Amino acid sequence: MTSIGTGYDLANSIFSPDGRNFQVEYAVKAVENGGTSIGIRCKDGVVLAVEKLVTSKLLKPNANKRIATVDRHLGVVYSGMIPDGRHFIERARDEARAWRDTFKTPIATADLASRMGGYMQAYTLYQSVRPFGITAIVGGFDSAAETPVDGEVGNGPACGAGGKVAGKTHGGPFLYMIEPSGLYWGYYGAATGKGRQAAKAELEKLDLGGPGGPALTMEEAVKEAARILYVAHDDDKEFELEMTWISGADGPTKGAHHEVPKALREEAERLAKQAQEEKMEE
Amino acid sequence: MEFGNSGSLREDGIHLDMDRLKKGEVNMAVTFKDGVILGADSRTTTGAYIANRVTDKLTQVHDTIWCCRSGSAADTQAVADIVKYQLELFAMTNGKPPTTQTAGAIFQELCYANKDRLSAGLIIAGWDERHGGQVYSIPLGGSLHKQPYSIGGSGSTYIYGFCDANWREGMEEADAVNFVKDALKEAIKWDGSSGGVIRMVVLTAKGADRHLYLPDTDYKVRHE
Amino acid sequence: MPGFDFSNYNRNAALHARGVPLPKATSTGTTIVGCIYDGGVVIAADTRATSGPIVADKNCEKLHYIAPNIWCAGAGTAADTEFTTALISSQLELHSLSTGRKARVVTCMTMLKQHLFRYQGHIGAYLVVAGVDPTGTHLFTVHAHGSTDKLPYVTMGSGSLAAMSVFETQWKASLTQDEAVKLCADAIEAGIWNDLGSGSNVDVAIITGEKTTLRRNYIKPNERTQKLKSYAFPKGTTAVLNEKIIHKADLSKFVSVHELTEEGGDKMEVDT
Repeated sequence: MTSIGTGYDLANSIFSPDGRNFQVEYAVKAVENGGTSIGIRCKDGVVLAVEKLVTSKLLKPNANKRIATVDRHLGVVYSGMIPDGRHFIERARDEARAWRDTFKTPIATADLASRMGGYMQAYTLYQSVRPFGITAIVGGFDSAAETPVDGEVGNGPACGAGGKVAGKTHGGPFLYMIEPSGLYWGYYGAATGKGRQAAKAELEKLDLGGPGGPALTMEEAVKEAARILYVAHDDDKEFELEMTWISGADGPTKGAHHEVPKALREEAERLAKQAQEEKMEE
Repeated sequence: MEFGNSGSLREDGIHLDMDRLKKGEVNMAVTFKDGVILGADSRTTTGAYIANRVTDKLTQVHDTIWCCRSGSAADTQAVADIVKYQLELFAMTNGKPPTTQTAGAIFQELCYANKDRLSAGLIIAGWDERHGGQVYSIPLGGSLHKQPYSIGGSGSTYIYGFCDANWREGMEEADAVNFVKDALKEAIKWDGSSGGVIRMVVLTAKGADRHLYLPDTDYKVRHE
Repeated sequence: MPGFDFSNYNRNAALHARGVPLPKATSTGTTIVGCIYDGGVVIAADTRATSGPIVADKNCEKLHYIAPNIWCAGAGTAADTEFTTALISSQLELHSLSTGRKARVVTCMTMLKQHLFRYQGHIGAYLVVAGVDPTGTHLFTVHAHGSTDKLPYVTMGSGSLAAMSVFETQWKASLTQDEAVKLCADAIEAGIWNDLGSGSNVDVAIITGEKTTLRRNYIKPNERTQKLKSYAFPKGTTAVLNEKIIHKADLSKFVSVHELTEEGGDKMEVDT
């Protein structure tokens, strides 16, 4: 890296002469040291997964969750500095609540991503702060059905309103990834953290961005997510696999963000280990 | 310190005794096959005097979200102006138009939070891509009600029966326009504080379309 | 003791509770009107100011300047119309200086309505706002509680009913400037003759895209004329019944009399 030690990396509010913000680049380094996180946008929902590195034998297994629920229909996973991620989640919950308070309706995944992107970007501007040492993956399922206004009296009329655009569907599963710079994009599949290169290579092999939308179902995606994290994992260290998912109203989670059931996760891990061993034999 | 009721400083000559402008009126909004129609008379009164005989009580708060105002003219204009601003801001910051629900939520928040200070009865009607035509009613206390059609104002008491008997789900546009017009004509006929012209706004995927009917032609001919 | 002192308020409330009427503010029982014509807008007002049953001013000005292209006619509490229009005029001038654009009538109307709404009718200003701006010719009424109306012809004040009767019978869709001025002046005259709160003269303002013309006392239908008879009484009209002369010397029996000298004492200082 050029210009190191020339003073341009000491504060956020200073650009280097070649137009870079070194503080942001160092924040990305912090992310690259963290356990791998991935998100998959499927046909019927979103799956989030994280490779939770076990830093001490004294930590209780399967406690200390890393994937957080921000609103009923929204989940967030991140790689990098965990306290930064905790603060990010706290802010995301505030944003989701504020949206509900003013607009009396759940925040759309895209809107939350936009708000949080703006929030992270603000931490790249000022002398007094440092950027977030995380890259966050935001998954959500925006209700495809019509939802009432919070606080409206009664259930409304039984008969439907006219003048809708025929055949047009609304809502669905969405996935966004937000980087320390505040940059965010929508993804079919997203990966960040130490094993992101390997994970991305595996995600690209999946049928996620076809013309008819993703072909993968959530159950398939859970198994793929487990396999990908095992592939991306550095064998030296012990790790736990944490996975959550969000389906539509007719799916297994009924529109909410939940942990993947233990039985399914263990089955996915078994298949992942099996695939790993088969690969070793080759 | 108490001096009894007669000591109220509101009874002095400094504060004007002029009634705040009221809209003794009739207005309504109905859903139909392609969207929603708003309709209203045009009378604004100060006591017994008609301060404006061609008032436009149908107020646009976004491209295809409108409201019918009833109660105090000052209060409803102030509330509608605030919501209009909020919805424009929503459209700009979120890069998409607000839904009728969004408008209803913002209207309700204002009406409920300031219920002690406002006399405003509102009907919010709008068309959006997701929900089609919708009607929300916000009566005096600031509650929010979703309805297939809604009637409001002093003149509405005369047409509950008419509307109940004649409203049908999924009417054609022409039928819905006639239904609104006939209902308003009836209210104008029986209610002394309703009158003047009949104004309507038809909200569909195509946008907003204004109608005007004059008493000179017995509200038969569409003007403008 | 620092802070506010409410003792006068309490005294007033106590007096009022015992039936003492509070003082009345000067209110312009008024006729004001406005009318749009082809090419501009005309507003007009009478010139009587009242304080209860008393005519406080026989020739006051009720047409207020807002901007060169925007004028206001005011009814209601005289002080409130005066200060409200002055305040908005000031804010609008600063606004147009910072934007580098001419002030717009809707901007003026919106500022007025938001100001008046904030004070919930306690500012008793009832206004007719008229003007020409780059977006066209505009005419509004603004009520004290903050409601507004947009109409081709408007009347306000206690004489508004009389004035409206003129508009409702004589107004037509297309008017020349002269016709509009005549119509507005006639409407004000209807107020002057038929409304107790209105009287004296007619003021008119004509606003076009090019210029504003203020015709102060455009019509003076209540001029003081020569009195038909002389009421000066000739000397000797009052009979002298008796006469008694008291001399200065005699006066000193009852009071002490001193002659004032020019020198010494407190001579009044006069600026040269």
